[in-house]
Amino acid sequence: MQRSTLLLAGTALLTSLLTACSGGLLGSEKAAEGPIRIGMAVPLSGSSAPIGPNMKNGAQLAVDEINAQGGLLGRELELDVEDEACDATSAVAAANKLVSAGAVISVGGYCSSATLPTLPVFDKADIPMIIPAANSEQLVQQKLRSVFLINPTGAQQSEAAIQFIRKRQARTVAVLDDNTSYSTDIAKRTTELAKQAGITVTNTSVTPGESDYGSTVTKVLSGNPDFVYWTGYFQEGGLLVDQFRRAGYAKDFMVADGSVDPSLASIAGGADGVFATMTQTPDTIEGAGDWIAKYRKAFNAEPGPYSTQSYDAVRVAAEAIKKAQTTDGKKVVEALEQLKDFPIFSGPLTFNDRHTLSQGGFQILVVKGGKFVLQDSLR
Amino acid sequence: MGRWVGPAGLLVAVAIPFVDASPYTLNVLTTAAIFVMLAAGLNIVVGYCGLLDLGYVAFMAVGAYTSGILSTAFELPLLYTIPAVLVVAVLAALVIGAPTLRLRSDYLAIVTLGFGEIIRITATNLDFTGGPTGIFGIPGIDVGGPAGFYFVCVAVVALAVLGSARLERSRLGRAWMFIREDEDAAEAMGVNTYRVKLLAYVFGAIWGASAGVLFAAHLSAVSPQSFVFLQSALVLMAVVLGGMGSARGVVVGAVVISVVPEVLRDLGAFRYVFFGVVLVVVMVLRPQGLWPVRRREPERVDAPVQEGVRV
Repeated sequence: MQRSTLLLAGTALLTSLLTACSGGLLGSEKAAEGPIRIGMAVPLSGSSAPIGPNMKNGAQLAVDEINAQGGLLGRELELDVEDEACDATSAVAAANKLVSAGAVISVGGYCSSATLPTLPVFDKADIPMIIPAANSEQLVQQKLRSVFLINPTGAQQSEAAIQFIRKRQARTVAVLDDNTSYSTDIAKRTTELAKQAGITVTNTSVTPGESDYGSTVTKVLSGNPDFVYWTGYFQEGGLLVDQFRRAGYAKDFMVADGSVDPSLASIAGGADGVFATMTQTPDTIEGAGDWIAKYRKAFNAEPGPYSTQSYDAVRVAAEAIKKAQTTDGKKVVEALEQLKDFPIFSGPLTFNDRHTLSQGGFQILVVKGGKFVLQDSLR
Repeated sequence: MGRWVGPAGLLVAVAIPFVDASPYTLNVLTTAAIFVMLAAGLNIVVGYCGLLDLGYVAFMAVGAYTSGILSTAFELPLLYTIPAVLVVAVLAALVIGAPTLRLRSDYLAIVTLGFGEIIRITATNLDFTGGPTGIFGIPGIDVGGPAGFYFVCVAVVALAVLGSARLERSRLGRAWMFIREDEDAAEAMGVNTYRVKLLAYVFGAIWGASAGVLFAAHLSAVSPQSFVFLQSALVLMAVVLGGMGSARGVVVGAVVISVVPEVLRDLGAFRYVFFGVVLVVVMVLRPQGLWPVRRREPERVDAPVQEGVRV
């Protein structure tokens, strides 16, 4: 009895599923109607979780503004945010979810190593990517026509770093990375540039996620550096600042943009005097006061790092769709390539043939009273 | 009813894409299928043989990296890399198994934990493994898009699960369970415990490395972040949650572990909190696992003594 009922139930289930549903392999594709969906995969959980809300809010602000002005091509914009957790598997799942939800353009991507495997997912679905934060050179090296970076890459960051290192007249530099693709990229480039400039340089990798970097600190300090540059993220960055200070290091300490987060100072228990290579943030851009006020009013929060870039990513996406007069991926990519001097926070935007910023770059910030303020705009 | 469970499960797995073939659903299903394969492999080591392995995902890394490196460096189709993957997996199992299997319980667990971390950190620091970024642009198995690949995965995983279930009932499987229940007694009865334990490792490694090949083909990218301790812990959790040593149970456990976080995706940052709560509730209500093995007790009824027969 059991066997026959089971078989019967199985067959019934199968036939009903095959006939009733249209989303399956035998069904037809959904038509593109309703709002224009903008996909965004950002870290909402995991070690980089504090950044996700900044990016989400920044993008939402741009979406709301565009909708208030009547939307795009007569349709509303809708932002679809998914968690990438800074992890390859989660990021690919998030990207696939966005593709399934019918996103026509992607404006997400924070952790480079999690963003890399999502590129083919979007590319295969003909979805252009405007990546607001992730900026490893490897993203460029994939040579996908649909990938655009609006954050300057590691190459530009290390140039800014070395420019400032020379200004500080450092002779021995210790570069530390956390072994993630983004961090090692900057570290390697900075190390090379330093060698070319005749500066003694050491490069050390630490394993992210640990709580005690004592042995690394001792090893680095044995080289007696007068400038330390940390290219990883803020969690380890905060610990390193603290542990270097405890070990008696009182000279220059600089962090890369991944560490520019208010949490850096709180983890370090005060990080005043720490420098940072960073792209423009709302607090360091002149004339961004109105924007900050609007952001505060909308989200009841301070605009953190990458809120402006995400805001700009949505605006760039909207501009390209408007120029192309369609959401068709290939035409939008063409429109993006033809953008000329589109005003964004980091300056007028024109993509170069590598699909990165042709101008606008990094500046040097310094921590004062727990906040990052402008030290040197390197111009 | 027992023998229809497997085919019924397979039928469901094959039928789902006909209901919903969105890239997201296919991605979740493929990930789940690969995870089932991992759990089936770990079940051989932990479930059958009772060797606690906290670094199992290292074997998956070995498989994924071997096929990824060979296919990108020599532009080989992924299928051609499988023989090399199997050889490397067996070597990895021997290298880690030979010196460590003399250890027992907690000590073995710690060594395997170390092995997992060594593989990941080595991959992060070597140049030919692509360093922290890993390997990109791995050719997939091109058989009619993501749906085709999913069916390939289901077929491979079904064979793997069936294979592990058959192994359980083999002479070797019985030896494994003997060792799990009482290693000293097994040795006293003439089981070559060292060799048999090493074989459990080898089979586990083959399963894990094959899952790694599917993983590499699925993501088209392999990076060290995919092989963190959490992954090993999740696979172990799938085995424990499903029911240690139960081939059906670990399939259910693996599906639960890989699908529940996706179902809870809408909860955003809280999803892992709820995931944790779900796991705790399940383990409180069913400490023996979702679908434990029903152990066949040896028949203790005294056999009727036949007259005149010398035993």
